[in-house]
Amino acid sequence: MKILIVDDFSTMRRIVKNLLKDLGFNNTQEADDGQTALPMLQQGDFDFLVTDWNMPGMQGIDLLKNVRADPGLKDLPVLMVTAEAKREQIVEAAQAGVNGYIVKPFTAGTLKEKIEKIFERIEGN
Amino acid sequence: MENEDKLMTEVTLNQARELIQHLEDGNVEKAREAIDGLSQIREASLFVEVGKLTRQLHEALTNFQLDSKLMGIAAQEIPDAKERLNYVIQTTENAANTTMDLVEKSIPISAKIKVDAEELSLDWERLYRRELGPGEFRELAGRIENFLKNVSSESTELNGILNDVMVAQNYQDLTGQVIRKVITLVHDVEENLVELIKMFGNTDEYEEAQKEEVKTSGVEGPVIDETRDDVLTSQDDVDDLLSSLGF
Repeated sequence: MKILIVDDFSTMRRIVKNLLKDLGFNNTQEADDGQTALPMLQQGDFDFLVTDWNMPGMQGIDLLKNVRADPGLKDLPVLMVTAEAKREQIVEAAQAGVNGYIVKPFTAGTLKEKIEKIFERIEGN
Repeated sequence: MENEDKLMTEVTLNQARELIQHLEDGNVEKAREAIDGLSQIREASLFVEVGKLTRQLHEALTNFQLDSKLMGIAAQEIPDAKERLNYVIQTTENAANTTMDLVEKSIPISAKIKVDAEELSLDWERLYRRELGPGEFRELAGRIENFLKNVSSESTELNGILNDVMVAQNYQDLTGQVIRKVITLVHDVEENLVELIKMFGNTDEYEEAQKEEVKTSGVEGPVIDETRDDVLTSQDDVDDLLSSLGF
């Protein structure tokens, strides 16, 4: 399981990386915005994307839309971890095809629960 | 002001007419009195003028004070505040990294204790089931002795790390002080802006703008205003919304 973590704050990437490691996901890579992340996703064989929303360069929501529009990436599971918590934003992310949405600040338990739920669904399909 | 001036002119005119009348009548005594009265009027109007000037001077001085305060804010305090806020970002980032360094250092230690303890308890159970030969028992006893020694030193190391984690949180005190100073500055700027609006602008518009509800769209980071109803405040609310959308 190869996971890409996208956040402009290195401390947040590090937290997510450590929590994923604790859940047994050791193969992670990092990017600091959508612009850097998209070519990495297109070139690498990632199985999962964890992304922030508010970033300089390409924002998380646009990264998600780009992923869904790319034939090679359209089925990639995407988990959004963000401080953006407006109703309209969550609806927008849902409509863009996000697989899970976590608002910051979050707990290790929430991350675990959402990741498990996403994989349960994928395996169920 | 205008009324005052008019009244003054009228009084002066009356006095002047009286003076002429007295002079024509040849009443020197009365004429002298009228001249005194006229000079009193002159003095009184002089006082009024001085009063006006004083008020203007006072206003000019107040405005000047405001100007020099704004100057100080723009030239010194705001650049200083930017530096302070950058310090807050840097300090909190350092503290987060220090804490994570320490946590990453302690995870393998506790993981090793867990693995060793699990291995030992498997063999310990074999001992209870009498599955161990005498050689194996001696070897197990040696491993247990080692384990106990290691746990003692490793937990001492973990204690040290936890203490360092605790000390790393002292950033909160420092950043709290810095942020409090910036809040005071924001407050001062607000007061000065309100003064400026009062002096040169429209107070009614300002009061109206205060009551306006701000609608923001797009990204804005964490929302602190709890009264806003377009923002969800917990993961549970987010989950509920998503499940209402068929998630």
